[in-house]
Amino acid sequence: MNCLDFRRRIGAEPRSRDPDLIAHRDTCKDGCAAFWQRAQRFEDDLEAAMAVPVPEGLADRILLAQATGERRGQVVRRRAWMAMAASLLIAFMGAGMFWRHADLNSLPALAVAHMPGELDALNLTRPMTDAQVEAGFRGRSATLKGPAPAGVTYVHDCMVGTHAAVHLVTRMNDEPVVALYMPGTMSDATIDFHRDGWDGRQIALSGGTLVVMAQGASRQTMDAVARGWRNAIEGSGAPVVGRI
Amino acid sequence: MAPVVKDVNPKQRQYEAMVRALSADLYRYAFWLSRSETVAQDLVQETFLRAWKNLDTLRDAESAKPWLFTILRRENARLYERKRFDTVELDDTVAEDAAFASPERSGDAAQVREAILRLPEKYRDPLAMQVLGGMTGDEIAERTGQQPGAVTTQLFRARQRLKDLLGGPAAAERSRK
Repeated sequence: MNCLDFRRRIGAEPRSRDPDLIAHRDTCKDGCAAFWQRAQRFEDDLEAAMAVPVPEGLADRILLAQATGERRGQVVRRRAWMAMAASLLIAFMGAGMFWRHADLNSLPALAVAHMPGELDALNLTRPMTDAQVEAGFRGRSATLKGPAPAGVTYVHDCMVGTHAAVHLVTRMNDEPVVALYMPGTMSDATIDFHRDGWDGRQIALSGGTLVVMAQGASRQTMDAVARGWRNAIEGSGAPVVGRI
Repeated sequence: MAPVVKDVNPKQRQYEAMVRALSADLYRYAFWLSRSETVAQDLVQETFLRAWKNLDTLRDAESAKPWLFTILRRENARLYERKRFDTVELDDTVAEDAAFASPERSGDAAQVREAILRLPEKYRDPLAMQVLGGMTGDEIAERTGQQPGAVTTQLFRARQRLKDLLGGPAAAERSRK
């Protein structure tokens, strides 16, 4: 490195610790060491001049601005979360109310709700004639395609909710089983239910819906009554709706 | 009652340490860039707010200062674009015959500051990055998107222009007293 290169480099980067520069400074006989010394003093002055006073509390103000921004952001985020939570709650409540409304208007719910006014019918034991049973169905514009099950002790035309129904009680094995046939009320599938102490089954038929239910009756009795009424309403050869 | 002590998360600790360690140098750089105390404070505030948002991109402590200087430089450019400050560039031609003249003691800090303020931005900016940011010519070149040789020339000329300004009318004035 020659003196020109040395002085050009020091002129641009006086604080450089490049070994080549240091070596030239320490060996040059042409005043480069003195040049370097003056450059360092000039640099000291330059650094001192550039170190202008910093406004008091600058760092604290910066941190305050950041903390305030963060806090504001947190509040905005919290509000967004709360709005989302409120929306979800409202959606759940809506869904719950919809479900409850749908449930209260289901045929099993309406059938069970119909029963408190008809409990005396469960105590009847005198069998009704086939003509009386057929008359009960005619009252609802329905006809039987097969023989009614034995042991029918009650026939009456009722309203189950808004559905016109033939209310039947069949006593089998000394157990009263209620059958509510709602002609024209169509349903999709067979559903078993347990509700307010009643065990029951909603059965979809081709011309309406049959709900069979009892309190404490055996499953075999329930099945036999259900099968008997289905055969009576649809005929023994009719396909079972909702079942393959 | 015992004081409530809440753990500060590492990001917040890193940020606070960075602000306390580097805000002074950053302010000084902003001041020399903008030549205004008010604008410098605004620039530093904006720079640190932007740094907070992008703190995860900072990999190591050593690069924090150049990183902040770069952000501040961009913020200044944005501010300049928005406000279009009225700036007056000084004559850029330097008397090259004094290029290797022995630098004299440059007088008090106020005179040096006045001289620095009169430097064109293209000299003042790299000079401040070097003196205040401790960056080498290569680092400045990388941060400013220039060739290293061009930055070396700017740094050399910046000092020569300063010596020129300090050794000119001011020196003459001093010698008369």
